[in-house]
Amino acid sequence: MTERRRGVVLLMAGALALLIVLGMSLGPTGVRAPWAWQDSIIGLRVPRVLLAAIVGGSLALSGVAMQALLQNDLADPYILGLAGGASVGAVSSLALWPTLPPGPAAALGAAGAVWVVRRLAGRLYDPLRLLLSGIAVSSILGSATGLILTLAPADRLLRSATFWLFGGFGTPQWSAIALPAALLLGVGAWMFQRSERLDRLSLGSDVATSLGVDLNATRRWVLLASVVLTAGAVAAAGLVGFVGLLAPHAARLVAGATHRRLLPLALLGGAALVVSADILARTAFAPREVPVGLLTATLGGPFFLFQLHRATGRADRRSA
Amino acid sequence: MTAVVESCGVSVGWHMQPVLRDVNLCVYAGERLALVGANGCGKTTLLRALSGLERPLSGHIRWLDRELPQGPARVNVLGLLLQDERPSHFGVRDLVTLGLALDGVPTAAQRASVDTALSRSDLTALGNRSCLSLSGGEFQRALLARAWVAQPHLMVLDEPSNHLDPARQAELLRRLDQLHGTCAVLLSTHDLSLAASCDRVALLHAGRIDVVGAPQDVLTPARLARTLGARVQRLDDPSGGPPFFRVLCERQRESAS
Repeated sequence: MTERRRGVVLLMAGALALLIVLGMSLGPTGVRAPWAWQDSIIGLRVPRVLLAAIVGGSLALSGVAMQALLQNDLADPYILGLAGGASVGAVSSLALWPTLPPGPAAALGAAGAVWVVRRLAGRLYDPLRLLLSGIAVSSILGSATGLILTLAPADRLLRSATFWLFGGFGTPQWSAIALPAALLLGVGAWMFQRSERLDRLSLGSDVATSLGVDLNATRRWVLLASVVLTAGAVAAAGLVGFVGLLAPHAARLVAGATHRRLLPLALLGGAALVVSADILARTAFAPREVPVGLLTATLGGPFFLFQLHRATGRADRRSA
Repeated sequence: MTAVVESCGVSVGWHMQPVLRDVNLCVYAGERLALVGANGCGKTTLLRALSGLERPLSGHIRWLDRELPQGPARVNVLGLLLQDERPSHFGVRDLVTLGLALDGVPTAAQRASVDTALSRSDLTALGNRSCLSLSGGEFQRALLARAWVAQPHLMVLDEPSNHLDPARQAELLRRLDQLHGTCAVLLSTHDLSLAASCDRVALLHAGRIDVVGAPQDVLTPARLARTLGARVQRLDDPSGGPPFFRVLCERQRESAS
């Protein structure tokens, strides 16, 4: 890693640490410096901010994995029907068992949807087939979610489902952090160890094969890694959009496509984005709270359009 | 002579419809063999089959009298340059390093191999540049460097002179000459002068190999007319270099006659 890139990673880690402290210090009632934190802050805000960082990091790594799998920088963690499956799972859970948290049902729904997409795509993990099957399944599951919301009698369902569909953290217990943190650590380390295979996979089927990659086995574990990370994040926080698309993109601009450098930077960037969005969600309209996913999309949309504009300009210059 | 790759009665195609039929071809250690043919005659399909990317419908292919190794050992047998790879966010040095198929950080010796490959491709100064910022010719050279960084027994190059300016084409030829005798090269090309610089040339026509032999015997106007469907004038270099070829289109043919 060159000095400059190591510097960027350290800078990003420092910025994330600052954001985490800021997130813990800021609340609807104002700012409270770390030395003045009370038990209530440690019990309520600290788990929430850490969960936001973990969810952001998980979605960013999941996005990196999905982009390598589908050889498409526009792929995000939800593209293979995960969002649709999670929505159906969560909304069904909210409708049938309103007192239970919808997270587990959402994770199951997400995993189930990917399983269906995988079966529909056929024997091979062909990126185009996966993508097309994912779009079809997402569309069907989106309709199913709408149908459940329309037919379910309680208005409260609509409100809680809407909040869940846009993502948010509420007031998580310390115990709620354990599983997503363990998944992020485990799967993240697993992916980092296989960075070079992700590099070769991202170059496309033929090149990857010629460079000694066992395509089916590698794609299977990359898909699994992405699903596990996304399901963990969705179970904890609902559908927080754009992070899995934006963080890998931004990291790639600095680190290039080499996954050994890209993965840490994407993880830090994703975590920083969601922690920032969560701070805004809690404070911008205090005492009301807006869903975090709305803010990640609000922050991410313009950045993405800017990148698209840059890429289009570059393509135009190439063809000129 | 040792065969680096040998195909026996190979047919390749899709949905059981063969594109290539009954191909018998052998590439020997250290030699340079060119595939020449019109668009759509099956050159790329044959190269893909000989690179292990397409499974033959019938017949068999052997690499160094064995199956093609799976996993990272594959790059020690075969280096591949495809026609349609697009530039990515990888840096040039990183892209070339991928040619070693490593599962981890490269050692000092492996970094030295990459340095050598970059230097031989005249890419040392561009090592830290993103492939997205390269010209077509620079990117082609980076792909060539990746194909030969592991020093394979065989390099399969699909139209390697694409995007290269005349100076770089001459440089490519010089590099191929340096490899001569150490690494077999199988290439497809529409550049008849490049084909004429090879040890042997195979003419492909309608999915079959028409003829394989020395360039002076194969690249004759009569054979080329059949293969390419156009009249070709061959202009031999009096100083002994590779001949020049002039392909005449219909209008030129009329005025020539």
